[in-house]
Amino acid sequence: MNFFGSLFDEHLLTLITFLPLAVGLFLLLLHGIPVLAWRIYALISTILTFVLSVSLFCRFDAKASGYQFVEHLPWLPDWGINYFVGVDGISLLLIVLTTFMVPLVLLASWKSIKQAERAYIFCMLFLETGMLGAFVSLNLFQFYVFWEVMLIPMYLIIGIWGGPRRIYASVKFFLFTMFGSLLMLVALLVLCYLNYREFQALNLDLVALDPALFPASKPGALLQTAIPPLLEAGRAVPWWQTPTWLFAAFALAFAIKVPMVPLHTWLPDAHVEAPTPGSVILAAVLLKMGTYGFLRFAIPLFPSAAIEFAPLFMTLAVIGILYGALIAMVQTDVKKLVAYSSVAHLGFVMLGMFAFNPEGLQGSILQMVNHGISTGALFLLVGMIYERRHTRQIEDFGGIAKPMPIFAFLFAVATMASIGLPMLNGFVGEFLILLGTWKAAPAFAAPATFGVVLAAGYMLWMYRRVVFGPVTHAENRTLIDLDWRERLVVVVVLIPAFWIGIYPKPFLNPLLRPVSEVVMRIDAVKQAQAAGQSAAPLTQKIVAPASSASDGGDVRVDAVGNGESNLPSEPSTSLEAENEGIQ
Amino acid sequence: MNGLEALDLSVLAPLLFVSGGSLLVLLGEVLLSHRATFLGKATSPSWIGTVLSFVSILFLALAFFSAIFPFGEGTTKVFHATSPMLVLDPLANFAIALLTLAGIFVCLMSVTYLAEMDIHHGEYYALLLLATAGMMVLVAATDLMTLFLGIELMSIPIYVMAGFDRKKLRSNESALKYLIVGGFASAILLYGMALLYGATGHTDFTEIRSALASGNPPFAAAGALALFGFALIVVGLAFKVSTVPFHQWTPDVYEGAPTPVAAYMSVCVKAAAFVALLRFLGVTLESFADRLHSLFWILALLTMTVGNVMALIQENVKRMLAYSSIAHAGYLLIALVIGTPEAYSAMLFYLVVYLFMNLGAFGVMAALASRGEEFDTLDQFAGLAKARPALALVMTLFMFALAGIPGTGGFIAKFTLFASAVNAGQVWLVIFAVLNSLVSVFYYLRLPVAMYMKTSARTPARVDLGSGESLVLIACAAAVLFLGFFPSGLDVFFLKSADVLAWTKFAITALVFGAA
Repeated sequence: MNFFGSLFDEHLLTLITFLPLAVGLFLLLLHGIPVLAWRIYALISTILTFVLSVSLFCRFDAKASGYQFVEHLPWLPDWGINYFVGVDGISLLLIVLTTFMVPLVLLASWKSIKQAERAYIFCMLFLETGMLGAFVSLNLFQFYVFWEVMLIPMYLIIGIWGGPRRIYASVKFFLFTMFGSLLMLVALLVLCYLNYREFQALNLDLVALDPALFPASKPGALLQTAIPPLLEAGRAVPWWQTPTWLFAAFALAFAIKVPMVPLHTWLPDAHVEAPTPGSVILAAVLLKMGTYGFLRFAIPLFPSAAIEFAPLFMTLAVIGILYGALIAMVQTDVKKLVAYSSVAHLGFVMLGMFAFNPEGLQGSILQMVNHGISTGALFLLVGMIYERRHTRQIEDFGGIAKPMPIFAFLFAVATMASIGLPMLNGFVGEFLILLGTWKAAPAFAAPATFGVVLAAGYMLWMYRRVVFGPVTHAENRTLIDLDWRERLVVVVVLIPAFWIGIYPKPFLNPLLRPVSEVVMRIDAVKQAQAAGQSAAPLTQKIVAPASSASDGGDVRVDAVGNGESNLPSEPSTSLEAENEGIQ
Repeated sequence: MNGLEALDLSVLAPLLFVSGGSLLVLLGEVLLSHRATFLGKATSPSWIGTVLSFVSILFLALAFFSAIFPFGEGTTKVFHATSPMLVLDPLANFAIALLTLAGIFVCLMSVTYLAEMDIHHGEYYALLLLATAGMMVLVAATDLMTLFLGIELMSIPIYVMAGFDRKKLRSNESALKYLIVGGFASAILLYGMALLYGATGHTDFTEIRSALASGNPPFAAAGALALFGFALIVVGLAFKVSTVPFHQWTPDVYEGAPTPVAAYMSVCVKAAAFVALLRFLGVTLESFADRLHSLFWILALLTMTVGNVMALIQENVKRMLAYSSIAHAGYLLIALVIGTPEAYSAMLFYLVVYLFMNLGAFGVMAALASRGEEFDTLDQFAGLAKARPALALVMTLFMFALAGIPGTGGFIAKFTLFASAVNAGQVWLVIFAVLNSLVSVFYYLRLPVAMYMKTSARTPARVDLGSGESLVLIACAAAVLFLGFFPSGLDVFFLKSADVLAWTKFAITALVFGAA
């Protein structure tokens, strides 16, 4: 590979992450240029980001294990804080989803944002960098920084360009998320402390890297290899050092963001008050931060606690599915209805995740993407009629199909995608989730399946009342159908809905390995618990693959190791270090 | 001869610079105000004020550099070999650098503000320098006598400065309140010192420590007396750093005092008193550590909770920042609860960050005050983003920094402080502290909400920004962001000496290990 090719590969993730913010800052410097130029530059840069992420998707090797496109630089080395980015199959899909949605959202809001448009565009670009940064971060501190920084642009988008109760909604959004993340910060500090106590060195990197290639990384004190054995060792420790409480702190932060019932109350407010682009990004990407956080941090770091909490989370997920659906059914505001449907959809995602089997996890991750696409499309369409009628009440519509046939058609497709009609994306995800749940816990699968029926009920009922029937309001007779820009936006959003529905393989392939690694970790813990073994061999099983993988000198650094290979019997470096710590 | 050769006068260098500068400014004011022209230029009060502010900045800068250079060497110089009274160790140098830097910033932001308020007199700068000299004595004091001297030399000029806008009732009220409460605090402090002297027979910190540690007190009740003395000294200093329940004066005084003076008080008085507490307790506390530990635990919790909860309901931004400064004092008290070198160095780092974010926030208010009108209510901030986008942007940055949002120095400061507390096993205190931070987010967000999300028919009267003010705001904003991303490990980009986190460790090492 030539020099520039390898340079490109090495810095691709950094480029993707910071390109939007860099363009935003550049535009700020050129503050005087007309708004149209801002729009065009922002659109081009976000499209370029999408193209880069597609190239990332194409270059990604689904067969290789571990993280790819890794970049590792010391940031605050004394604190074990590094700039550490990399992708696996899970983050890959979410990155592509993010970069896919942002240009479309900018295009959709081409005319609808009336005031302070430059600031709005800057917020969007800033937000994109924040979201991408959270998805690529493999250092816990770095993740936390992006996770919090992301709040600011979203808070401003809701608060400045939102509806009448925007200030209430934006502050509520900010405070709810901060509440969870501050307790996560405490748990993070406890992890720092444990890590330092055992190894006299801090490292908040999630996984090991080959020290020959990345001299700044210190193997043996890494979170994912060091923390679970430490915590699962079953020593007598104060309550705040137990995996249960640490998991609870992380899980609270993520559950608020998902949001899981009963922590969901910020969501309808934020969705209803946010401007259309804000709602779309919130639904499509921001909510996925929570589910992604579970998969990337909470579950791998505290597997035994995750198993312990699984019944609770599955119960809450099923409650979310049914409760979200029932509440959605009685909504009179279309946007609020879609917002509550998000609660139900995210319930499916959580249900599949805590089934802890390959089907459930794959379905869960795929459903994150699906929800982004179908709910994003619904919010876009709702925004489009809101711009025409300045109302979102279902009773103000009826018979929209006559003046707006193209809208009615696209709305139908988006509705079907959301319901989970076969051949569309929602079906694949929900099917896999229900299959996985059935295998793991049939008791939860039955009510969840009933939730699918309810979803069809409230969505179709809403669709009938808005689109079909006679035109009851005179204003609706003269509505203008979608113009080319709007059609383009919605059609482009819905293309992947068909793609995933008909041929999901390219999207499921990159998930196979990360999912099998999660399942393997969980199974190892479960087996150990079932066999009543002591903690020591259990920790060896979890740790061993990581150390064996980091022995190799491959450029694509293997982090979590090869799931199918035999577990090597020699103790890992981290275990040795741990033993020293005990002595 | 007369024993003067035993004194190391170079210890006094920063002190001499600022007190000499103070006298020079006072003299200049007297001489210039009686002349119609000076060097061919027509004099006016605001011209004289500007000239004198430059003179003060020059002397503060001299003091700053005379503290920075010995700091780099890491030496400890004592004023008198056998009874030190004052030491210029890395901690003192660090604190002096911090205080003089803040003094320079306050001078810069005062020039236009005082002219707008029509109170541009040279005495202001003389008082400022004199108060800074007092703070220097305070942070370098290793003896109860110099500690008291420093407190008084710091406080008396500030009583005057708080009432500097003498035609305004609010300013007068502020000065009077501060004077009465300050006098009260000094009396308590002095009483505590007397008791401690009575119990140990010494005024020097290290001698007190060894007297207490020796285990043969001069009389039976000496231990109890010393404990009581300690408590009273802590109370006296607690008035200065405004911890609950000794905080009631703070919002009234900040609200009434001219904005730069409030900024100066909130940053410098607090920093100097905290460093004094740190030195006094760090050197002498050992034998009482257990008994005062729980006292500080309760003080820290009460201070941050009351500060944050009271800040929620304020409509005046100065009052809000006053309560927020109380809350920050609560966070800083955590370091005294923990009492490890790590916690102390986190506290010093916090003070550095706090300097920039709080001076920045007050600086924005000072930069908006016009023609005798303060700019300090939330209503006035409504819609500011449209009228003054740059000021609204930096104010938002300072609010996010004060709230501890990542990407700003405020977050790193909280992170290091809370990390040191977790490392000492104080998880409950950290949980209370982060819940407090959550409460604080709510009121810090009120300013961005007002500036960006509300509209107002009124626009601020002032449309221009003095060059001093813009310099302060740019410097503070840059520092807040910079410390948020590179508090440490700067040797990648800059000299090793720009590593603030390492500085704080350096400053603490000498104190803790020198005393042990």
